[in-house]
Amino acid sequence: MKTIIGLCSALAFGLTQASQAADLRVYTYDSFVSEWGPGPQLEQAFEAQCGCDLEYVAVEDGVSILNRLRIEGENNKADVILGIDDGLSVDTRATGLIEPHGLSISPLRQELAWQDDSFVPFDFGYFAFIYDSSKISQPVTSLRALIESDASVIYQDPRTSTPGQGLMMWVKAVYGDEAPAAWQQLSRHTVTVTKGWWEAYSLFLAGDADYVLSYNTSPAYHVVAENKTQYRAAPFSEGHVAQIELAAITSTSQNKDLGRDFLQFLVSPQAQAIIPVTNWMLPVIDNVELPPVFGELISPQRIGFSAEEAGASRQQWLREWRSSAAQ
Amino acid sequence: MLDIEDLQVLRDQQPLRYSLQVQRGEILAIQGRSGVGKTTLLDCIAGFASAHCGRLDWQGQSLLGLGAAQRPVSMLFQDHNLFEHLSIADNLSLGLSATLPKETLQSALDTLEVAELLARRPTELSGGQRQRIALIRTLLRPEPIVLLDEPFAELDPHSRQRATDWTRRTAKAAQKTLLMVTHQYEDVQQVADRAIMLLGIT
Amino acid sequence: MLAAGMLALGFSLAVTVLAFYGLIGFDSSGTESRLDTRLLSDGYFHSVVWFSIKQAGLSALLALVLAWPVARALYYSPGLWLRQSFLSLCVLSFVMPTLILITGLVALLGRQGLISPWLGQDWNLYGLPGILIAHVYLNLPFAIRVQLLQLQHIPDSSWKLAAQLKLGAWQRLRLIEWPALRAGMLQLFGFVFVLCFNSFAVVLALGGGPRATTLEVAIYQSLKYDFNIPEALTLAWTQLLIAGSLFLLLNRLGGNQWLGVDSTQQHWTPKPGAAMQRLHRLLYATAALALLLPLLALVPGVLQVNLARFDWLAIARPAFITLLIAAIAGTGALLLAYATLLPSRFARTEGRNTLALLCDWLSTHALVAPAMVVSVGLYILLLPRLDLDHWGMLFVVLLNMVLILPYAVQQLRPRLLQFDRQYERLVRSLKLGFQERLRIEWPYMRRACITSFALMLLLAMGDVAIFSIFGTSDWTTLPWLIYGYAGTYRMGEASVASLLLLLICALVVWLFQHFEKGQQDA
Repeated sequence: MKTIIGLCSALAFGLTQASQAADLRVYTYDSFVSEWGPGPQLEQAFEAQCGCDLEYVAVEDGVSILNRLRIEGENNKADVILGIDDGLSVDTRATGLIEPHGLSISPLRQELAWQDDSFVPFDFGYFAFIYDSSKISQPVTSLRALIESDASVIYQDPRTSTPGQGLMMWVKAVYGDEAPAAWQQLSRHTVTVTKGWWEAYSLFLAGDADYVLSYNTSPAYHVVAENKTQYRAAPFSEGHVAQIELAAITSTSQNKDLGRDFLQFLVSPQAQAIIPVTNWMLPVIDNVELPPVFGELISPQRIGFSAEEAGASRQQWLREWRSSAAQ
Repeated sequence: MLDIEDLQVLRDQQPLRYSLQVQRGEILAIQGRSGVGKTTLLDCIAGFASAHCGRLDWQGQSLLGLGAAQRPVSMLFQDHNLFEHLSIADNLSLGLSATLPKETLQSALDTLEVAELLARRPTELSGGQRQRIALIRTLLRPEPIVLLDEPFAELDPHSRQRATDWTRRTAKAAQKTLLMVTHQYEDVQQVADRAIMLLGIT
Repeated sequence: MLAAGMLALGFSLAVTVLAFYGLIGFDSSGTESRLDTRLLSDGYFHSVVWFSIKQAGLSALLALVLAWPVARALYYSPGLWLRQSFLSLCVLSFVMPTLILITGLVALLGRQGLISPWLGQDWNLYGLPGILIAHVYLNLPFAIRVQLLQLQHIPDSSWKLAAQLKLGAWQRLRLIEWPALRAGMLQLFGFVFVLCFNSFAVVLALGGGPRATTLEVAIYQSLKYDFNIPEALTLAWTQLLIAGSLFLLLNRLGGNQWLGVDSTQQHWTPKPGAAMQRLHRLLYATAALALLLPLLALVPGVLQVNLARFDWLAIARPAFITLLIAAIAGTGALLLAYATLLPSRFARTEGRNTLALLCDWLSTHALVAPAMVVSVGLYILLLPRLDLDHWGMLFVVLLNMVLILPYAVQQLRPRLLQFDRQYERLVRSLKLGFQERLRIEWPYMRRACITSFALMLLLAMGDVAIFSIFGTSDWTTLPWLIYGYAGTYRMGEASVASLLLLLICALVVWLFQHFEKGQQDA
């Protein structure tokens, strides 16, 4: 009984611990702030630089950041939002809760072709199909080849995950109006379509598919963290769709100068050296000191749609996928 | 006086009708063929079956508006009189008044030859033993009206003799108004002041 | 007493009502969130509803039918080897986190699965077979336990009578066993149907593509990705209507459960013949193997992880928090369940059966209310009004409590109804007060309470859905940590942590089984 009371009071204590208002509050997603994510190191580095207190408020994922903004509206507590991807940027802007940062951001990698007055990219990656080179010696070299092959494929549901939406745009960019036929063809050798990234990836690691939809950076993790070199991303000749992760300052922030400093910090060489090896994405600036494997990753040509185009057609594409892939 | 007049109870859509008076302290045996509505009458007095018209008065006050827990009634059912998961001692203590002298209970246990059973569970008892325990509790509870539904049915002749004697003695000493459903002529002779026969005319 | 019951019932209802209110009242674009009725004529919507019903119906039917012979084997052969441990394994399977189940099934039956080579060239786990296998794995053990319990309620006198009357096997089945199971079967079917109807991650992972889409997926999409509240509401009402009315109907058809009184403790059941006994042993062994294999299939994956380098300390705190939250939510759910059952019991003793049925339905309504809608609705309602970064954990506990409440009610109700049927008249006749009543009920309910508490603990321990919305990263639970690992390439760590979670669950089951046994002997 005593221990139970002890436990309960521990919980009560934890609940009532007054959180002191930090100087800079950052809304982000959960895995960003996890022990092995970029959050802790970035916090330490930035706090040392600004002599201020930074606090993360973590929600489940990127979409949840946007949803939280929508629910809280003007009453949100964020100074900076971090972790929205380019696909969500139009909707995020539409909330009217973010504002132009007014910074001159030092040159970003050219392939990003980034021009936006509000959002600052902090990392990016290309969607790519990963395969096990110990099992497949002759990987497919294009999306068309993959779709026309009979290799087993696992990907994520575009209704519930970002990579799924990425593939949707990819197919649309390559096939245009013939996308429905492509989906039908793909569905014949699709093992399964999962809710989120990890289900697909762990099914792949268990050997249940030849190819899984992930990022071109995935092999880097296996090399750096596990010393395994057999997982590779297949470069596709048509080019790849990118996912760019973004940060912005809110229009309701009381501390916009510090927010701007933080955005600037995110694209600094110091931060850019931390993010790739913790978030397993690519840096947004050139000449960052990284483990050699990052130099061996495929660097495809970027194709796809602008955030505005994608936002306008998303529902239509989803319906197209839904009806063709179900056959 | 327990005054029942033109009391109507519905049982399986059939109306049963009762009229009878029992004086305070009187012991009345109720007889009749199976299914004639003897148990229903007791249930109605105790508040487990509701009357849709008629009168049920105790000492001039109507009982019909009262819930089972408010009525001045102690009832012995045909079965399920004991909580199977509680010991006999615990079962006996339920519903007995705190002011009941210990000796009264002890002498009842001795008389009915069940004093040895207190630590046991009901499942370990024979039907007759269970019935005697329940009988003791029903009669010693501080309620003026006692209803017994076939109280001696499972007893052997020896126990039966002791139980009927004790029941009459205890009821008379405490001025209980007792209604007892029975099929046995000896029970009527040994316990009751008066017997009525329910005929089942509806 | 009744007032306390009404209050508890009102509380559990209020959570759902407030959640819907939160969604309906939310106004993001200046237009009121109305229902999206266009959806109702959409072909996609129809196929989603139809698939949800089909897979849930098939899963429930399979689970029940397959459980039946095993439950009989367990009933007729009380001397089976490790019988009690098997029953504990059944509890464990029922609460298995989907993450572990999917991994286990794939390791066993996937393309590289351990037993796939024996299943022939055409074997494919993904699709309806995968969904059914996973759902049967989760629910068959539960069905076995329920059916066994019902068989055990057959009074000895019935068997003795049957023996006297020299009833044949078919007559015994028809006249004794089936009546004992019938009412419970319908309710069990409803229960399992609703669980599968609301299933989500399993369906997507093993379903093979958008053909396999349940309403729950559609709700997730509309609420999370499109933030389309009118559509989410329409879907939620549809789900509530279908699952809710089916549940109500089956409860009504099932009528009052046929429960014997437990007046005797010596169990006299007919001894099956030698051939039958062999069959029973075979059935039992098959079932045990089927439940164990997906768990054993996890072991090779875990062995690949460098356990020496594994950060055990990182797991200790989340494990402790998980237990703590589950213990509070579980205790709360049991107390709440007892209280919410008071009105229905009261109505039943008054003979107002329709009212009792309504109360029963209300006390278990959280089962059919889409969990996602309830948590998001409350989140929308509370976020602007309360510092959820601060009070979030309170709601994790509270919502877990409300969402496991139906299970607690299901566990306690039969036993309480049995108590009422046997003793309600006696209790009223003895004029027992509330305290005395509790004093008598407690020893009668103790075992049921202990077993239910273990189940509540396990159910609450597996939660990720609520934590993902209300949780704060300072209070990471073990399941959430597992998803965190899995979401960032650390599949190895995730499988070690999963196995650990499973071991903790097993430990809980084992402890309670021991405790329960102690109670029984006392």
